[in-house]
Amino acid sequence: MRAFEYVAAKDSRHAVALLAEYGPSAKVLAGGTDLLVEFKAAPRVPQMVIDISRAEDLKNIALTAQGLSIGAAVTHTEIMRSPLIREMCPALVDAAHTIGAVQTRNLGTLGGNLVTCVPSMDSGPTLIALDALVAIAGPAGYQDMPLDGFFVGPRKSILKPDELLVAIVIPKKNLGKPAAFVKFGLRKGQALALVNVAASLRVDSDKHVFRGTRIALGAVAPTVIRAQQAEAYLEGRAVTPEAMAEAGRIAAGEAKPISDFRASAAYRRDLIAVLTRRALEGAYALGKSKRDRET
Amino acid sequence: MARKTDIGEREQRVTQKTLHSVDETLRLPAVTPPVTYPIETLVPQVRQQTPAVGQRATRSDGRMHGLGQTRYIDDLAFPGMLYAKIKRAGIASARIKRIDTREAEAMPGVMAVLTGREIPVNSFGPSLKDQPVLADDRVFHAGDGVAAVAAVTEQIALEALDKIKVEYEPLPAVFDPLEALKDDAHKVHAPNSNVYATKIIKKGDIDKGFAASDRIFEGRFRTQMVEHVPLEPHATIAVWDPNGRVTIYSTLGRITLGRADVARTLKMPINRIRIIATIVGGNFGGKNEITQEPVLALLSKKTGRPVKGTFTRTEEFIATTTRHPIIMDYKTGVSKAGKILARKVRLVLDGGAYCSWSETTLGKACILAAGPYNIDNLLAEAFVVYTNKTMTGAMRGFGAPQVCFAYESHMDDIACALNIDPLDIRLLNAFEEGSSSPTGQVLQSVVVKDSLLQAAQRFGWKEARS
Amino acid sequence: MANVTLNVNGKLRTASVPPETTLLKLLRDHYNLTGAKLGCDVGDCGACTVIVDGMPVNACLMLASQADGREVLTIEGLATSDQLHPLQKAFEDHASLQCGFCGPGIILSAKALLDETPNPTVPEIRDALSGNLCRCTGYTKMIEAIQAAARVLREEPAERDA
Repeated sequence: MRAFEYVAAKDSRHAVALLAEYGPSAKVLAGGTDLLVEFKAAPRVPQMVIDISRAEDLKNIALTAQGLSIGAAVTHTEIMRSPLIREMCPALVDAAHTIGAVQTRNLGTLGGNLVTCVPSMDSGPTLIALDALVAIAGPAGYQDMPLDGFFVGPRKSILKPDELLVAIVIPKKNLGKPAAFVKFGLRKGQALALVNVAASLRVDSDKHVFRGTRIALGAVAPTVIRAQQAEAYLEGRAVTPEAMAEAGRIAAGEAKPISDFRASAAYRRDLIAVLTRRALEGAYALGKSKRDRET
Repeated sequence: MARKTDIGEREQRVTQKTLHSVDETLRLPAVTPPVTYPIETLVPQVRQQTPAVGQRATRSDGRMHGLGQTRYIDDLAFPGMLYAKIKRAGIASARIKRIDTREAEAMPGVMAVLTGREIPVNSFGPSLKDQPVLADDRVFHAGDGVAAVAAVTEQIALEALDKIKVEYEPLPAVFDPLEALKDDAHKVHAPNSNVYATKIIKKGDIDKGFAASDRIFEGRFRTQMVEHVPLEPHATIAVWDPNGRVTIYSTLGRITLGRADVARTLKMPINRIRIIATIVGGNFGGKNEITQEPVLALLSKKTGRPVKGTFTRTEEFIATTTRHPIIMDYKTGVSKAGKILARKVRLVLDGGAYCSWSETTLGKACILAAGPYNIDNLLAEAFVVYTNKTMTGAMRGFGAPQVCFAYESHMDDIACALNIDPLDIRLLNAFEEGSSSPTGQVLQSVVVKDSLLQAAQRFGWKEARS
Repeated sequence: MANVTLNVNGKLRTASVPPETTLLKLLRDHYNLTGAKLGCDVGDCGACTVIVDGMPVNACLMLASQADGREVLTIEGLATSDQLHPLQKAFEDHASLQCGFCGPGIILSAKALLDETPNPTVPEIRDALSGNLCRCTGYTKMIEAIQAAARVLREEPAERDA
């Protein structure tokens, strides 16, 4: 690898101060599973690498007044093992499990996955489907924003060079909201998603209709997108397998998949329809078993 | 005591006599005396149990592998060793107008730079010597090496590559083998035709065979380029000794061929070249010929220090041999019952930028193109063509896997169209003891049908079909 | 230069290396622990797998600086002077390796699995090995060997691994 300087940030405040000092000539390193790969292929590397992988306040998983807060430097393995996340957002655990392989999950972080911002990111859809927020630290201090606006385009997040993603928050109201994540890759491990889908929903217990459905699609547009027409279609509609299948078909029409060496656009559209249906079914089943347990 | 002296004397006399008689026999006769071999040859006893066959044995390398103690080439290091990297063309077809290495040479830590014009004989290959060690005047595929650097660290070597400036004049290129087959196609190695090897097998009379057929089926099948992806990338270390002999440690599979290629390209007597190959981390045919050995030998000579070069995973894909993609056109005439009466095959092999092992691949693909089936009337024509892509060479099967995909898919298509069980159509046509191959070889120990039937039984073929 | 101190196979070791040095380079070039291999350098093949603080990671994707203060176990640290680790023994008995290049990485991934899951199912073994590519064997014998080693480890007393 080409030469660069290195400093380990003690915490997010330290990291922000370092970013302010070095500006665009610095890059933040967490797990390195994307960044170091990028460095090895790049004609140039940043002058300074700021390592946040062991920054104290970026490794917490905790319930706060806002909801469930996950530090940006929490690894995918830590997500899979967290009792809090397993209980409150099992879909996030499923999503983490589809990322790379054991070795990549032990190093790769949730924040890194979001900041690298590839359209096929596996952590994005579930978080979008749960209306997640992100906490960003900058020279002016901390601010929150919806994750929805965090993704600008392929490999481009909204972060400015002197800003740091600090935490991801799942709002209190969505903790325990039934959700499911489905990914389709050419292999079961070490594979990019051809399409990935997350869905979350509630069921009106009286009328047995869909309420507050969220469907997030990945790998089929420049960023993770919501299938809002499919969501609108389901709102207030009776919960039936046919409705879920139709929602899948509508969602497929909302996406702009590309044809590349991995798959054709047509095949991806097929996948969207099927995976959306499966994600809805999965979320519904999770909710049903919860309701059954509660009654 | 006396006896010992006696033996000593006799020994002395016998030795003298032998030495003298050797002098006599060393005067070679004008006509070599006839040599008689035993007339009886050993006929191998097939399918007989021997004490060794069927016994469990432990692999001799298992322990060292498990301990992580096996030393592969990249695990070796020598005092004062330098690291070499090769600059890749990145353009499929071009003339090199200028290479400026001055900035790279001036970098601290860079010990030597090498370009194609410094190679004494800049061509090699297992048969056609059409592959350059480093591109000199022309680039034939994007993975061609155009310059090499030896530096004190790999990092410096890579940075030095960036500083080497190459001016290319892009030339036309051809990438599709069917395009390359045409008369007006760009000639990759002009003025030679793009078709650099041909094989034709003729048996019986296909016109008569097709005329007698109840149905005729045609199909085109294509396979893709495949890279071996051995887990261990190509690695080589070159070291010279004070007597002007070079030792090359390499992941090379065919070291005798390697010596010949290094001797040729470096214009050195072969007895001054030693190649040491050790446990290799996967070969599969991709390490059957030299890649960077002459480059490292020359860099080592220039610098007076051992030089190691390891390929990156990217170089494994663009600068090492791959499996030939083949476009296979099949035309088969069958009876109503599915018996093959005639078959016409045309194979077009994508031969990449250089010949490498294409002739062997062509040969095997052509001979095996008919499949393990009794076909009395056969015409198999096979061609390998140059394209401006990564060179295609040896990979396990040498053409067999590609044609197998074609003739078995074709067979399935025929069975489906005739509404015959795919297993039955094969049993009807398959080789038997004494069947003759397309090239007339009489086959022994033929167990095709036995295997098929046993497999069918184990898989529950009949049950699944019903 | 980055000064790092880490525990490698039970021994405290230091190094002064350029900051961009990966853990893989540190182990192979500076400590001559060549068991971890360079197969792709981008974390796809797993040949560089080592165990850091109990977790298998791609050493090619970890900077030496990031390993500072941590415990690293490489393949060279598995066997003792008089005994092979049950995984190494099982791999030998089952002829699980052919060219052997993927071996150290696979064995360490398997060790990390068995440390956590003493009685893994075949899907769990496959999942644990999903980051280790093998081009020679087809993995079948490795899975058998891991199951055999798991049996041995379950039967023997805990002191065995000390």
